[in-house]
Amino acid sequence: MTTQLVKCPTCKTTITVSGEPSEKIFLTCPQCNQKGAFTIPGEKSAKTIGINSATIEVNGLTKSYNHFTAVNNVSFTVKKGEIFGFLGPNGAGKTTTIKSMLDLIHANTGTIKINGIDVRTHGKEAKKYVGYMPEKVAFYDNLTALQNLRFYAEIKHASKEECTHLIEEFGLGDTGKKRVGKFSKGMVQRLGMARAILGNPLILILDEPSGGLDPRGVVLIRDKILEMKKKGTTIFVSSHILSEIQEICDRVGIINKGVLVAQDTVEGLSKKLNLKPQITVTVDSMSAKIENAVKKLPGVDSVKTQGNTLEIVCDGAMKAKVILAISTADGNIQNLQTKEPSLEEVFMRYTEA
Amino acid sequence: MQTNVILSIAKKEIMDNIRNKWIILVSVMFALLTLVISYFGSLASRGWQDLGFTISGMANLVTFLVPIIALMLAYATIIGEIERGSMNSLLSLSATRFEIIIGKFLGLAGVLCFTIFIGFGAAGLMIAANVSNVNYADYGIFIGATMLLGLVFLSVALFFSTIFNKRSTAMGGAIFLWFLFNIILPIVFIGLLATTIDMMMFAQGNTIVVPDWYHALNLFNPTTVYSSLLTTAIGPVSSMSASSMIPAPSWYSSGLLIGVLLAWIIVFFALAVWRFQRKDI
Repeated sequence: MTTQLVKCPTCKTTITVSGEPSEKIFLTCPQCNQKGAFTIPGEKSAKTIGINSATIEVNGLTKSYNHFTAVNNVSFTVKKGEIFGFLGPNGAGKTTTIKSMLDLIHANTGTIKINGIDVRTHGKEAKKYVGYMPEKVAFYDNLTALQNLRFYAEIKHASKEECTHLIEEFGLGDTGKKRVGKFSKGMVQRLGMARAILGNPLILILDEPSGGLDPRGVVLIRDKILEMKKKGTTIFVSSHILSEIQEICDRVGIINKGVLVAQDTVEGLSKKLNLKPQITVTVDSMSAKIENAVKKLPGVDSVKTQGNTLEIVCDGAMKAKVILAISTADGNIQNLQTKEPSLEEVFMRYTEA
Repeated sequence: MQTNVILSIAKKEIMDNIRNKWIILVSVMFALLTLVISYFGSLASRGWQDLGFTISGMANLVTFLVPIIALMLAYATIIGEIERGSMNSLLSLSATRFEIIIGKFLGLAGVLCFTIFIGFGAAGLMIAANVSNVNYADYGIFIGATMLLGLVFLSVALFFSTIFNKRSTAMGGAIFLWFLFNIILPIVFIGLLATTIDMMMFAQGNTIVVPDWYHALNLFNPTTVYSSLLTTAIGPVSSMSASSMIPAPSWYSSGLLIGVLLAWIIVFFALAVWRFQRKDI
């Protein structure tokens, strides 16, 4: 079920519409009785709403401070509707890249296009399509959550009703007149996500969106990211939580010491690094015969034995041969698990130098 | 340039200052000081003095108070938001840096002018109700000139807020500015004057002719310009200062002095815009 806010074309009253993606809803304006229909954006329909070039294009981006090069000749493209994870150790240049993408800092060289529009020359136009959640989320401490969101809504041309709806959606409905300055870090972070998606942007740029959140908050943000992707939103997300990135991202880019060292799908990067899956087999009784039978198999890179468990690193296609070899050596398999190479391994390998 | 963006930012600045009760506190302070000066300020007589006398009594206090209030109001406008992190989000919106800074300036200017108007206005009405000779026009000029002085320091503080990379440094800069215009520059200018005129003539009570360069130099100090504006434009202040040691020259006109104050506002605001456009956040 998706909820959308639509404006009556006659009296401009905002009406809340709920329905399944792509469902056509017939409406009557409660204010002026104007009749009409609205189709809830689904994956397909939302993509057609967006402009064809709803992407991020960074080309040859370099930013130096005195003699220190924070970002060096970084280039990448984020395709429309995909989630792109941007990874790197602390101080690798992630935030500098993100800030350059929004023209918060002025790059020395390179071009950045948002939705096909150059951020440096037409920043105001380009940023119309962007929702941004910075690493350090901050608001105006003297104002309430609703007052803060309404301020941003005025500039984003979003409705007041959407602000109220988002406050409720992110579990801040009971904050009432409480000033944001008195919010916990998690509450501020949730409000930051609400601000980023305010106005339903075509492109979301999220810098460490889960930082400081409790597990419930992490799930809320992750679900919201996936919901936005379903709507066709292009999402650029930087995070240190690699398992989360692996779970939600279509592609990742890894930056190290200011240089973009890799960009591909996690599987693609694993292949490039020749990382192999690990098969863990538990037998009822371990013997040297079983261990040797597995070790002798061509294509097995390594075998570790721990009690009745064998940890075998080999090609994924070797699984059947491993099972056969253990059975032939009189092994009785009790449990077998395959673990694909993790993003953590990929990340460690690309950033170890 | 979108006026709705500018107005939204200006409105937010006003709301922010209303919520932290800044407006109320400063307005009450202005009103109380005015009433105290009007009631207790005269050694010759007790009770309420008229508005002309009150303005003369207030002039010096205003040159000390209004600049420091304006500086404190605006010194962290840009750097404070950058340090706190909210500037990132503001600049990620579809708004130009010029729209943001002009919105902030207008919001803060609104807060300052409203505070001056309410504080001095309320006190003025109370005094007017207790005295017979009331010249509202003079008092209006006083309030207007005070607003201009406040805006000068607001503009300078805004510029300082864009050039420093730390809120604490910007605060230090603002305090230095206050000392510069209220203490250092007047002493330096008087010192320069003392080295160039015959002090013996001054000691014997003869009339001294102050050279024009001294008055020209004083145009570079907005607090002196403000005092001179009150002297030039407000009758009672003019008559009270006629016997001062260094009277304003004949070529000082209200128009010139207002123009100088406006120039201060425009130049420093333009510098703030220029610096903010180039600043990495």
